[in-house]
Amino acid sequence: MSLFAWLRPSQPRLDEHLRQRVEQLTAPAPLAEHSLRQQRWVVLDLETSGLNLNRDQVLSIGAVVIEDGAIDFSQQFERTLNQRDHKLTSSVLIHGLGPSAIAAGCEPAEALLTLMDFIGDSPLLAFHAPFDQRMLGRALKDHLGYRLQHPFLDVAELAPLLNPQVTLREAGLDDWTAYFGLQAAERHNASADAMVTAELALILFSQARRQQLDSPALLDQQLQRLRRRRQQSHGF
Amino acid sequence: MSKMDAFAQAGKTAVMQNIQGTMQFLQRFPPFNQMENAHLAFLVEQCQLRFYAANDSIIKPSDGPVEHFYIVKQGRVVGERQHVTRPGTETTFEITSGECFPLAALLGERATRTEHLAGEDTFCLQLNKAAFIRLFTLSEAFRDFALRGVSSLLDQVNQQVQRRAVETLGNQYSLNTRLGELAMRHPVVCDPATPLREAVRLMHEQQVGSIAIVDEQRFPIGIFTLRDLRQVVADASADFTQPISRHMTASPFYLSPQASAFDAAIAMTERHIAHVCLVEERRLCGVVSERDLFSLQRVDLVHLARTIRHASRVENLVSLRGEISQLVERMLAHGASSTQITQIITLLNDHTVCRVIELAIEDKGDPGVPFSWLCFGSEGRREQTLHTDQDNGIIFEARDAAHAAEIRGRLLPLAQHINQGLAQCGFSLCKGNIMAGNPELCLSRAEWARRFAAFIREATPENLLASSIYFDLRVVWGDEQACEQLRQSILEQVADNRLFQRMMAENARRQRPPVGRFREFVLTRQGNDKAATLDLKVQGLTPFVDGARLLALANGIVANNTLERLRQLVAKEVIDPLDGAAYEEAYHFIQQTRMQQHQLQSRQNLPYSNRVDPDRLNHLDRRILRESLRQAQRLQSSLALRYQL
Repeated sequence: MSLFAWLRPSQPRLDEHLRQRVEQLTAPAPLAEHSLRQQRWVVLDLETSGLNLNRDQVLSIGAVVIEDGAIDFSQQFERTLNQRDHKLTSSVLIHGLGPSAIAAGCEPAEALLTLMDFIGDSPLLAFHAPFDQRMLGRALKDHLGYRLQHPFLDVAELAPLLNPQVTLREAGLDDWTAYFGLQAAERHNASADAMVTAELALILFSQARRQQLDSPALLDQQLQRLRRRRQQSHGF
Repeated sequence: MSKMDAFAQAGKTAVMQNIQGTMQFLQRFPPFNQMENAHLAFLVEQCQLRFYAANDSIIKPSDGPVEHFYIVKQGRVVGERQHVTRPGTETTFEITSGECFPLAALLGERATRTEHLAGEDTFCLQLNKAAFIRLFTLSEAFRDFALRGVSSLLDQVNQQVQRRAVETLGNQYSLNTRLGELAMRHPVVCDPATPLREAVRLMHEQQVGSIAIVDEQRFPIGIFTLRDLRQVVADASADFTQPISRHMTASPFYLSPQASAFDAAIAMTERHIAHVCLVEERRLCGVVSERDLFSLQRVDLVHLARTIRHASRVENLVSLRGEISQLVERMLAHGASSTQITQIITLLNDHTVCRVIELAIEDKGDPGVPFSWLCFGSEGRREQTLHTDQDNGIIFEARDAAHAAEIRGRLLPLAQHINQGLAQCGFSLCKGNIMAGNPELCLSRAEWARRFAAFIREATPENLLASSIYFDLRVVWGDEQACEQLRQSILEQVADNRLFQRMMAENARRQRPPVGRFREFVLTRQGNDKAATLDLKVQGLTPFVDGARLLALANGIVANNTLERLRQLVAKEVIDPLDGAAYEEAYHFIQQTRMQQHQLQSRQNLPYSNRVDPDRLNHLDRRILRESLRQAQRLQSSLALRYQL
């Protein structure tokens, strides 16, 4: 191996069939101006081996779809990934994915491709979206050599934006679930967390409509404005 | 558990966890708990989950034919119907977690008649019509539920009660068994000219206790039983060659084979007979004996009634009261309905009252003037439960005031004696002194008529309260004619007096059913009670009783019983048939809940109480109780509308 190979970003070796499928993936659409109800959304939740964005791995993926303003039970995605070099860490106590489940999981490249097909050109929603965005982005790059460019909206950001009267400091998914009185059947598995996040999103969309923020693009603009304000105030 | 075990356990993630989770949620509620897993999975997979903020409209009449079936996952949906005659809306129902809507509109392929709004932030599972139809064809449990709605819930409650009875008693019997199924053997018959000896030989050969005497068309014209035979034998001059028609009981009582075992038991108890003929299309098709009923039910109703009627001393009656309570216990356990039980208690109480009166007359001597014994209130309506107090009076005929005073003087000592006797038998003395031994309640027909006319003319609060007790009057013992005349004049006066009706309507609306717009039940805490409760009698039954009384009196209906009044109001088109049926079911359910509660209290040696903590009922019962109380509320609002309150 040449010395420079160490410095070059590693490109995964894909067989021809997978490479074709990667090329055929739909490009993401920009956040649209139409109403929230007209937008198909994919709500995503990942369970990972830990919180280190550079080292930890995606262990399982849960996704549900919001279409026509409702969670559609007929479109659901749920996969546990077979990560060969996965080491048991303390995070197993949170996500509950033991070595046997990981071993029984699917081939990551195949699972990720199916996920991207499932997502299509839809924008993504997640709670603490930057984390999911980075983790998924890295997994896609490592396994498929694919660059994730889909827009993400962060439900953890939308909730305080639309509920300025609520003072929850650094509120987590559990806090907002409790605040809205949602009954979460089971938490800390990717599918159930994606479902709760989606329910939260339905409530937030209903609030957004009332606050004249009834489009994906408008919501995104509002979030950016909020971020800028926050940076300015931190500057002082 | 070792660490590896815990990991293995955690690894068992079911396929599609969210589908599984939602199925588990639905399986807590009927009809989903009765559906096959595959059908339920189909339902969930086809669903969409929608959010409605408080006050969002979910479906409304102007949306046109209903396109979706909804199940409330979380939150509360309320039905708002526009008043027909005035602005504003009324809440007609509430739907909460696990319940579904709008079945009638969906099946009828029409728009909903009621706007469904989110009563609070609500999530609903929504199933499209095509999937609903598919499910309807696939799943019998679902179809049954969809077609019969809440009444199928009531059936489930009854099934539950009966299942429990079968479990505890190991007995397949039901009081609702059709008589036709009971009388398996062909009846033994002969024609009226048959000699007595020949008829008795037939009975002996067939080993039966009765023979029916039929005409050429096989219609029963008489019955001859072993009891009759005993009489014939006792008579020294009896001639066994005479035709049986000379010794038979003519025109025997008969029922249709479709009638129930309960009907036969009641008839036997009322008429003191031991055999009931079954007649279909004017042809005899069977005979049911007391013994057939006994072997079936082990409920010794007929025997008990007879023992009461022949008790030789009040002390014997006192000991029989204990048996009545046991009988009720057994019948409730057997799944008898509250209507059947109140009917039986009333019947046995009537027998007891009659016997106490007869024994008192034997004891104190005949006063020498004819009189009738009246009862009022729940006894008058034939709605007595085990715990009951006396509400009675006496009516007699007199020429004038002086004559009336003289008769009263003769009757009062006897009446007081009877009141005491009844108290001994467990009819507690009336705290308000509404008892025949009170001179104000031992009146001539003219005096009663004056008193009642004053109630209607001067509608003071006291008079309104009095009319709600006295106007449910009925004769228990003695001639019924004077009482019927009184009743007719009450009906005429009430029909003419719109103001009195209005006041009664206001009175009937005083006790508000304890269901709120924003909560399931409106409960109150009594004294040191730990749990908040509601009163099944005052808050649940009274609105129906008062409402039915008012409408019955205003519309010339003679019946006293609340359910009977409701039925006749429907027949007279005063009440819509659907409303009538709903009121009847609701009243029935509340009464049943109350009785089960009494029975439980008596088993635990607690004092009788009508207060119930809804949280202690099972899910199904609680839901039906809430719906039943809502019907009481509807009856009250219909009165408000009718009398423009």
